[in-house]
Amino acid sequence: MVAFRNSDNSGRTTGLLLRCVLYSLLALGLMIVDKRYDHLGKIRRLLSIVAYPVQVAVESPFEGWNWFRESITTRDALRADKARLEAELRVAQFRLQRYEALEAETQRLRALRDSTAGVSNRFIIGDIMDVDLDAFRARVLVDKGARDGVFVGQAVLDSGGVFGQVARVEQLTSEVILISDAAHAIPVQINRNGLRTIAVGTGDSSRLKLPYLPTSADVIAGDLLVTSGLGGGFPAGYPVGTIAEVKRDPSQSLADVDVRPAAQLDRSRELMFVWLKPGAALPAASTSAAPAAPVPSGVARPAVISPASAPASAPAGAPAGAPDAAAKRAKAPSGPPPRAPEGANDE
Amino acid sequence: MALSALVALALTVVPVPLALDVLRPDFLVLVVFYWSIESPRAGGLGLAFLAGLALDVINGVVLGQHALALTLMAAWATHLRLRLRVFSVLSQSLTIFALLTGYQFILFWVDGATGNPVTSFSRWLAPVIGALLWPLLAGTMARLHER
Repeated sequence: MVAFRNSDNSGRTTGLLLRCVLYSLLALGLMIVDKRYDHLGKIRRLLSIVAYPVQVAVESPFEGWNWFRESITTRDALRADKARLEAELRVAQFRLQRYEALEAETQRLRALRDSTAGVSNRFIIGDIMDVDLDAFRARVLVDKGARDGVFVGQAVLDSGGVFGQVARVEQLTSEVILISDAAHAIPVQINRNGLRTIAVGTGDSSRLKLPYLPTSADVIAGDLLVTSGLGGGFPAGYPVGTIAEVKRDPSQSLADVDVRPAAQLDRSRELMFVWLKPGAALPAASTSAAPAAPVPSGVARPAVISPASAPASAPAGAPAGAPDAAAKRAKAPSGPPPRAPEGANDE
Repeated sequence: MALSALVALALTVVPVPLALDVLRPDFLVLVVFYWSIESPRAGGLGLAFLAGLALDVINGVVLGQHALALTLMAAWATHLRLRLRVFSVLSQSLTIFALLTGYQFILFWVDGATGNPVTSFSRWLAPVIGALLWPLLAGTMARLHER
């Protein structure tokens, strides 16, 4: 920088330089403190409360428009809607009958196998706010925060399947990182044969990939991927996606597998924050209340729902020792992938 | 001044379709540049620093990233202001382009240093759009400012 100096201006230039250095050092210091230590959570939370009105102000015209559109829908449209919803409910209830029987059976089998699959027994529903975050990262802002008990790392589902996890919690809002974010990985298994691996985001909301499967792995297009529950972050057994394409190049040791996410990552409005009890016992055969199932989004707006059957009545089978066993199982195969140390790569 | 910064902040988070999102110019950055050039005593580097902090919080990145980039570039803009004011519209836009590119570069560098690099090429679109928008924005703000 060639300084633009003349006699009356040089004082101001040095002043500018001084202030520039000062503020830059302050910013650098902030970055280091924020990155290295965890003391800035409070400051950040405070600042975000200041930013919250702006976000709400931006969102309000859209809310207003939605409200306006809803309030001018005709009676006929509402009746058609009601008929459709009733039909859907009938189908859902029909399915649920089978589901309860199946769940009871699963739990019996799990108890036999001494399994540790976590059970989510409480969830709240949050709305995605109409606010755009960084365009280069797959994150959304949701209107539930520390006040509602949301915590960092919490699993978030939508009606289709796993949506993401909580990356940051503010007082009133939280930021959810989508499973499609390029920095996100989730332990999964193939539903058909139980093959465990890691699904990694690509940055494209319609695609995940499985980078750690060998070419010889038993995986075919159309396979359903579910969460494996290893690592303890996500509840086990929720759909993550279906295999869209498997490319096997004989000269490579790893296959190139594309996954289509089950959750509607770019369309969902309502998300479920799940409280997972790792290692908690499965509620005994009483499956009367089954809120652990993915509920169609838009059920029960007032949010907190706890099941009738608290996990108080624990079967003897799956107590606290079990997570260790799961961890050992997970660590047993050699060479776990570098990005997700808790997950296991192969069978 | 505070009002223009708030409006720019709102424009930064207002939802647009995903395809347009990468084309969104850095409104707040442009507004800070405008004040740095027009009347550096009004907001000065303090404004740049605070605006940067707001962007950090909203984007959820490491605290200080945008603040650092914006402070440095606003200082540069302030340094250049006397020349900028007599520049033609084209050269003003080119200078703003350089400033915005520097801003993105610092962001890019900090992203890399903190271990979550954004390698997408589209991030370098923002300076182009911002530079194209500059004459319009500066003109509008100057008119509002005079009133």
